[in-house]
Amino acid sequence: MSSLIWYIYDFARKAWTDAFADAKTSPEIAEKPERFRDFPKVNKEYCIGCGACTVSCPSPNAIKIVREKDDETGEGLTYPVITPGACIRCGFCAEVCPTEPKTLECGLNHLILPEFNIIPSKRQYIIDDYLCIKCKKCMKKCPVGAISLVDGKMFVDQLKCISCGECLEVCPVNGAMKGVFVDNLQDQKDLILLCVNYLEDYINNKEEDLRALEKDGLLQYEVPLADFWDEAIKIIPDDEVALEIITNAVNRLKIRIIDWDKDKCKKCQLCIPDCPTKCISFDEKEDTIVRDKNRCLRCSICYQTCPFSVIKYFIAKFSLEDDKIIYTTVKASNLNEDIFME
Amino acid sequence: MLDAIRDVVRKSSIHVCIVNCGGCNGCDVECVALLSPRYDLEQYGIYVHNNPREADVLLLTGAVTEQWVDNLKRIYDKAPEPKIAVAVGNCPVSGDVFNQEGGHVHAPASNFIPVAAEIPGCPPRPSEILEAILAVGPQAIADRGRERQ
Repeated sequence: MSSLIWYIYDFARKAWTDAFADAKTSPEIAEKPERFRDFPKVNKEYCIGCGACTVSCPSPNAIKIVREKDDETGEGLTYPVITPGACIRCGFCAEVCPTEPKTLECGLNHLILPEFNIIPSKRQYIIDDYLCIKCKKCMKKCPVGAISLVDGKMFVDQLKCISCGECLEVCPVNGAMKGVFVDNLQDQKDLILLCVNYLEDYINNKEEDLRALEKDGLLQYEVPLADFWDEAIKIIPDDEVALEIITNAVNRLKIRIIDWDKDKCKKCQLCIPDCPTKCISFDEKEDTIVRDKNRCLRCSICYQTCPFSVIKYFIAKFSLEDDKIIYTTVKASNLNEDIFME
Repeated sequence: MLDAIRDVVRKSSIHVCIVNCGGCNGCDVECVALLSPRYDLEQYGIYVHNNPREADVLLLTGAVTEQWVDNLKRIYDKAPEPKIAVAVGNCPVSGDVFNQEGGHVHAPASNFIPVAAEIPGCPPRPSEILEAILAVGPQAIADRGRERQ
């Protein structure tokens, strides 16, 4: 009996009754979370009336494009109207909306954001299966176990990779493990093109050296990188990235060069029909044979065809180390001599 | 006097029956989430019975398929007066994504039974459902109770 009275006394305390009466769901549960994708917000003034949102919408009655009445100030605005009773808040309309800034805004949409990457790294590590010798050193070295053998090929799981670069250091084959830059592929192509064009022009301008070159002789030049560094940095404004791209390209580069002395040319025109891209032509006014550099494949067919050995064919290789000088080696092709030997 | 007492009782204690008339179950899951400790539906005096004979509020979900056209009316008739129907989600309101050309849904549900409130969303958040029931339910039930007399 005493315990019952104690209970009644306990429940009748003011603090308890107040707490009981005020019991509420905490506001953070009742409110929408910050990242919640609510109904799309329409910014009327940006709409161009393209209708992409209505096409992308999975629900038949959710979006209607309406046009306001024309008045003295001009044409009435055209804009989408969202019906909440049919909208499923998927955010597709905001995703396809082509205007800038967007007419339709619909929360944080993962497909609008750039590709998800755990580590903000400029590099993506990939393995060249052609060069890889499957020594599995990278697999053992990887601190997060991102590298594995899949279908007999080494494979880097990009979601696990933390871009530490350990695999690149441990790889015994030069070029099998690659840390490639993935953001600016077109800029990288432009940079390599600039570099190759500069080197080819540089060698082509040494006409006397090329024509005086003996059969087994070598020409050696030192081309400072600074000559075209300013232009390179304009294409990719990151010193480290630009230098690495040029180094990789130049060290693997092999340029073939075609050159002939126009004075010695006998104008027999035998090379013209043999050219596979028809880039060699006979200029009747000037009485010379001309070659269109941009269409030439450097295939050496003209060099092999020329009966007077006027057309010369050279192979150039390059090496770029830390001292920022491109060491260039040019040697004459011995293709014709081999044929004579046989 | 008696009416006043009835109103108090009807407003403070609402019995709910979820009627899924051919939907995807998304809204039903949200209704179940309401029962969980996080939202705790029963602190507001709302009880889910899933029996129309005890219900004051019918929560309609789903886009009224062909089989549900007659059964929806039957279930509504079974519920005792005063009663209201609340459409949860887009399906009973407009048919949503199921209301395509050549589809066999008979949305909106208000073609067959009187619907007192509509909650848009696909699915609506549990807090939105709760808000709607609390905002519309008690007064609507009380009003309907008076109408009948």
